[in-house]
Amino acid sequence: MSSRFERFALYLTVPAGLLVILLYALPILQVLALSLTEGSGALANYERLFTSRAVAKVVQTTLVVSVSTTFITMVIAYVIAFGMIHMSSGQRKLALLMVSIPFWVSVLVRAFAWITILRSQGLLNSGLMSLGAITEPIQLVYNRIGVTVGMVHYMVPFAVLLLYANLTDIDRRVVQAARSLGARPVTVFFRVWLPMSLPGIAVASLFILVFSLGFLITPALLGGGRTLMIAEYISVQISNTGRWDLATSLSTALLVVVGILLAIALRSPAMRAAFGGGAK
Amino acid sequence: MSARIRNRLLMAIVWLLLLFLFLPVLVVIPVSITDKSYLSLPVDGVSLEHYASLADPARGWIPSFRNSIIAAIATSIIATAVAAAFAVGAWIRAGWWPSSVRLLMLSPLIVPPIIYAVGVVRVLSKMSMLDTFWGVLVVHVVLSLPMAFLAIAASLSNLDNRMVTAARSLGARPLTIFGRVILPNIAPGLAAGAFLAFISSWDEITVTLFITARRFVTLPRRIYTSITDSIDPALAAIAAVLLIATMTVLIAQSLLVGRNKERPAR
Repeated sequence: MSSRFERFALYLTVPAGLLVILLYALPILQVLALSLTEGSGALANYERLFTSRAVAKVVQTTLVVSVSTTFITMVIAYVIAFGMIHMSSGQRKLALLMVSIPFWVSVLVRAFAWITILRSQGLLNSGLMSLGAITEPIQLVYNRIGVTVGMVHYMVPFAVLLLYANLTDIDRRVVQAARSLGARPVTVFFRVWLPMSLPGIAVASLFILVFSLGFLITPALLGGGRTLMIAEYISVQISNTGRWDLATSLSTALLVVVGILLAIALRSPAMRAAFGGGAK
Repeated sequence: MSARIRNRLLMAIVWLLLLFLFLPVLVVIPVSITDKSYLSLPVDGVSLEHYASLADPARGWIPSFRNSIIAAIATSIIATAVAAAFAVGAWIRAGWWPSSVRLLMLSPLIVPPIIYAVGVVRVLSKMSMLDTFWGVLVVHVVLSLPMAFLAIAASLSNLDNRMVTAARSLGARPLTIFGRVILPNIAPGLAAGAFLAFISSWDEITVTLFITARRFVTLPRRIYTSITDSIDPALAAIAAVLLIATMTVLIAQSLLVGRNKERPAR
């Protein structure tokens, strides 16, 4: 029998439980259910994901942009995080501020800033033209370049904060041991730092990839309707064309892909350790 | 190449990359004080007219600002209360129910918000809550719970279980233990949770984009419409206001934390 105190504890969990079941789980189940019943039925809805050329193009754009964003983000973020653990505490504070400010500033402010810089009458193009480096504006936004730049800029602060936490946890005595045994700096980096930070790199890449695959705002604003990624395509299906069959089956497919990525990640012991460590 | 030159070179690259993060967001400040009616640097002259246009009632910035503040405060209060009750309940009593609720509650951190948006649009439209304060409120509460919960749970994990045991053995009633023993001891976590919930609601755009249109417009919704419809320097003015507010909070926090940390070290 549970005591009065434990029953009280159970009551405390009820409001949160009801809220997330009714207003989070049910809406998502609704998406799954609609993907089976809307339009001309489940089979037709999911068959279309594999046969439609428009969908194929959107999926291809999403994959190319997401994978390149993840890769570029990880390289930049690793260099920054690695530099940060070697800074003096004053420099590190400044560096953390330079990472945190873009991290906390609204995604809309960041997208708008990039439009200001990259558009054809923007700061970069007019700067280059007045220097005489180019004679005509280069198309830097409303295409994949703009979307990737904006997404990388959005993701790097996340990745830096994750990698920095991971790198500070690495036992520096191992590095000292390697040095005292005569390893050259390049060897120390590739044989000590990099292998020991692999779990952190894996976790950060996974997060960035998952965020990128379902990202709506930055791709929509910097893609300008010309570079369509899945999230924006889904939003167009709902808002403009009312194609709920396509919107819900694509959403379900996206959910399944994210689920598979997380399941693979949690199978690897390194990833489990990293998640277990991060979740406590 | 000597070790020192190589290290200098590496650090130079690190600072260049940090500038890539930091400088682009700063451009909104000079652009916001241009005297032109289009986006440009203030080369010929400086003007504050774009800030003045933010106050123009016809432009709709003021009501959207007010809506966002109201929604964020209400969200913060409800999300903190619900998350605190749940965190304490789950802390006292483990089991399948608290862990399933925790999993569901944290999912918005990783499940793409677009999927939730598709589902919640249907649910809210059935309840005729699209484009209303209440619709925005329930969605923002759901999306703010993860951050509020994480902050409160982190604070609870530092709480000594024996205090609760002592209160129980002295015959305190459950409500007394909750209100007089647990809550006062997790006050910093509650404050952090409330702040994070406020920010989550204040910044929320992806789902809000689908559940609002004209009647209840939040500030991010208003900015989004403005970026897609007509880019003008008033946008730079509002972006600069948001940027300067964020920078002020972060710089103040960095200075305060630095001072607290340095003291015991000396």
